[in-house]
Amino acid sequence: MPLYPDYPLRTERLVLRPFTRGDVDAVFAYRRREDVARYLFDVELSREECALAVQQRINQVAFEKEGDKIILAVELARNGALIGEVSLIWRSVDARQAEAGWIFDPDYQGQGYATEAANAMLDLAFGPGDIHRVSARCDVRNDASWRLMERLGMRREAHFREHAIFKSRWDEEFIYAILWQEWQALRAEQKPK
Amino acid sequence: MSSLSLPIATDRLNLRTFERSDVEGLSAYHVLPSMQRYVFSRTRDKAEVAGALNIMRGHVSLQRPGDTLTLAMCRKGDHALIGHVSLHWSDATAGQGEVRFCINPSFAGQGYTREALGALFDLAFDHFRIHRLFARCDGRNHHSIKLMQQLGMRLEAHYREHALFQGEWDEELHFAILDREWQRSSKVKDLPPRHRVDAPAQHRVA
Repeated sequence: MPLYPDYPLRTERLVLRPFTRGDVDAVFAYRRREDVARYLFDVELSREECALAVQQRINQVAFEKEGDKIILAVELARNGALIGEVSLIWRSVDARQAEAGWIFDPDYQGQGYATEAANAMLDLAFGPGDIHRVSARCDVRNDASWRLMERLGMRREAHFREHAIFKSRWDEEFIYAILWQEWQALRAEQKPK
Repeated sequence: MSSLSLPIATDRLNLRTFERSDVEGLSAYHVLPSMQRYVFSRTRDKAEVAGALNIMRGHVSLQRPGDTLTLAMCRKGDHALIGHVSLHWSDATAGQGEVRFCINPSFAGQGYTREALGALFDLAFDHFRIHRLFARCDGRNHHSIKLMQQLGMRLEAHYREHALFQGEWDEELHFAILDREWQRSSKVKDLPPRHRVDAPAQHRVA
């Protein structure tokens, strides 16, 4: 069903909100980095390319039809620092499928922020979004990403080898997924007694 | 690439392209509910089979990505059409191919599909220079699963409830094999004894 979230989304330590034009420098700070671009389809971005990416994201805030994306800036509640983005793509309306993604500034790694933000996106998808299954994919060498998927309670559904060319080399890819009933069981378990 | 030479003969089968006269033989298995449960093209009666046959008759070679080669499995001797196998060239840059197969249940369980797929794998890897072959099947299709494992394919994906298929949640498996993993059974021919490198004999001569 169409989804128009009520922004911002808040978690314990984070604020998830639509991008604004003022975010270009903060996005450039991490999208310029080789270690961030390594496993993304994009290469390192220039400041102009970042401005374009931010421009696109400003309107990616709701699900109205298949293929729509919701991409949100993640900032720290305590000081407003922009530390990355989380996204959700509406892959199938009929089968209620969505794909989750994220890009984070490595300077803020290791503090559970990505897990916190991604969990908020799962709650959005399975709650108001009425999604049945959320998948995510990454390069098998991207440990940080697939370990995050496992922390989110996702199952590894696929391990493709040499199924495509990625940045002039054979690609090896993981696909993870979580179903609505699995998410529900997980949240029931996590609820404080 | 040398030109494709058809039909391909295996121990018990001839693999050839489909002909107009195959409509009876194809209908005999393609309309069965046990077959329709797993196939993408719905063919419930002979008219629909004729339509599917028309498409399959055009699957004669792989000239460009997106092309499919479909081969009828005909038993040597009685020339009975017992099923078919196909190779779809899904990606040229990365050398990817997808195989599909169907067998008339009356002839199942005798290794015919395995025999045909073995020849099709040889063709894909040696003739068409495919780098990776994959096949998909329904999670409940135990015969297909066993067959792909016997062929040395690895389970690469197990999707659950990722789509709706024929009105139900779909469960889909992907199996794959790389060119270097394929065990070519018949490619290494034994040399006649007189051509063999016989080190002790040479030593005696010296």
